[in-house]
Amino acid sequence: MADTSEESIEIGHLPEVDPLIHAPSRLKVMTYLYVVDSIDFVFLKRVTGMSWGNLSTHLTKLEEAGYISISKSFQEKKPNTMIQLTDQGRQAFRDYKDEMQEVLGNLPE
Amino acid sequence: MSEEKISIYRADREIFRSAFDDGLVDILLSSFVLMWAVAPWLSESLGDFWSSAIFLPIWGLVFIAVALVRKYWIRPRAGVVKFGVARKKKLTAFTWIMLILNVLFLVLGMLAFFNPVVSPWTRMLPLAVMVLIASSLAGYFLDVPRFFVYGLLFAGGFFLGEWLYQNYGFAHHGYPVVFGILTVVIFLVGIYKLITFIKENPLLDEEQLQWEAKNG
Repeated sequence: MADTSEESIEIGHLPEVDPLIHAPSRLKVMTYLYVVDSIDFVFLKRVTGMSWGNLSTHLTKLEEAGYISISKSFQEKKPNTMIQLTDQGRQAFRDYKDEMQEVLGNLPE
Repeated sequence: MSEEKISIYRADREIFRSAFDDGLVDILLSSFVLMWAVAPWLSESLGDFWSSAIFLPIWGLVFIAVALVRKYWIRPRAGVVKFGVARKKKLTAFTWIMLILNVLFLVLGMLAFFNPVVSPWTRMLPLAVMVLIASSLAGYFLDVPRFFVYGLLFAGGFFLGEWLYQNYGFAHHGYPVVFGILTVVIFLVGIYKLITFIKENPLLDEEQLQWEAKNG
């Protein structure tokens, strides 16, 4: 029991990571969006390997948090959805990266 | 792809490669190699200049065909991506380097072929080196390692052709045979990659399109 309390004290010092980005599927989406200027729904679905519904759900959550912007248009009479990381989302991803490096960097061998 | 580990570096490479790895660049490249196979034959009837110049409209047609296939077949399946600043800078640098290399390639090629003093083996050296440099740069900048292999085969083709010519009497320094085979190989790789890409990425049906319009 003593060990557990020590652990909880240590964990209490850990920086809080953004739970919205930390979910594996959203982390994958954010990572792909981080390396491009913008990407459409079809390309993102293809590279992430997610289903339409799953990807749409994660994008909605990220959009509600202000991390991404979604713009819809029609190209040659077909719907096209472009997704882009906002400045806030880009900063949040950088912060997440720094926090994770801090968390993992402080782990004992 | 969904099972792979998440990494910024890997995501960047994955997106860039998946935007170009549809086989169309290979098909375009095979049309360039084709000139080296066919031009020596044509030179007998058309002369040295026109046997090469006739390929300009052919390349134009292939380029238009590739652009149309990309627009109507590939883009609806692959989707659209706009690259970040770092990738755009890399692509711009690549375009300029290739442009300069091509001019050098042309000048060196003309100097080598119209200089009767140097031996056939020496004549090919600058061409082979330039081909190797260009293909290595293309492989590096476009992140497609097989372009380096194409470059090796192309550069080696000059020497293999000359060897076949000197030892077995192959016509036109062996170019029609050597570069003809290379054209077929590169074209088939392109077709294989194109078919694989189309199979793996079917067109969206009407229901999916309506779903995207509503929810995507």
